[in-house]
Amino acid sequence: MYRSIILFVLLCGCSALILSKNAVAHDMTPTYPKWKITQHDGIYKTTMEMFNSRTDVNWYEIGVFDDDWKPIRFVTSYRVFKLEYLGVAKIDVYINARDKDRAEYICSKSKLKGGSNDKPMVESRICSRFK
Amino acid sequence: MNKFITLGLIIGLSGCALLMPKEVAAENIDITGTVQSRCTVNTDTPGVYGNPNAHTLTTLPASAGQLPIVRVDTTLANAYNAQISYPTSFASSPSLGDTIAWTGAVTVVQTSSSDMSGYQAGSTTTGAARTYPLSIAGTTWFSVASQATYGGGQNKAFPGGSYTAHVVAECIAQ
Repeated sequence: MYRSIILFVLLCGCSALILSKNAVAHDMTPTYPKWKITQHDGIYKTTMEMFNSRTDVNWYEIGVFDDDWKPIRFVTSYRVFKLEYLGVAKIDVYINARDKDRAEYICSKSKLKGGSNDKPMVESRICSRFK
Repeated sequence: MNKFITLGLIIGLSGCALLMPKEVAAENIDITGTVQSRCTVNTDTPGVYGNPNAHTLTTLPASAGQLPIVRVDTTLANAYNAQISYPTSFASSPSLGDTIAWTGAVTVVQTSSSDMSGYQAGSTTTGAARTYPLSIAGTTWFSVASQATYGGGQNKAFPGGSYTAHVVAECIAQ
């Protein structure tokens, strides 16, 4: 009896949550990534994980910056990549040893569509920091 | 005959084992999880420009606009700064030959804890960007007002067409 009531309340709560709010979020972890050595001399790697719950965004861009926000060269499979709604992506980012200590921030930025009728207004960007 | 008795006993015992209450066979199973420090940028309300007169586009509700509301969640105190910027250019628009005056404001409209009440006073501005040190774990809602006036003070009419400008909401690790 009580189990049915609890289940009913939970279902109602979840439905209300889904219907009432079109939650659109972007997050990236870890907050403080570290560079790791690779099997290639002078090449370091870090792995970032991203989650997209923005219904209005499917594309994101990765960037690496120094402490003055100047871009630093890095290598990844796709600098701009598609991440579907509720999709999770692990992104490996490689950098030269000579740039490793200059790299201060690694950021992911939402790419907004310009040409469609459904034009989102908020561009989100999350930056993790190398400490 | 003995075989039948033995078989009957085995079947009977097996049946008893099956009918035993589940609690007797239950074990404690742990559910483990880790919450990483993270910052999430959410768009709670998308912004819309209203066009109260020919030379103004504004997000003010009184002018049929809609203020974008950005929600920032952080799970760790003193790990992130939230930086919210109002637009200073159009991302897409018809061809514009005259200058545009941009104004805007970023305001904390709601917080998940009363301890965050000092966020607005403790924020700093650089141009169109306002930076908030997120010193308490929790949720903060920001509204972003934006207005564009065409004609460089002479109030010229915006050319007809579709206009888009972007609010930038950032979480930057401290």
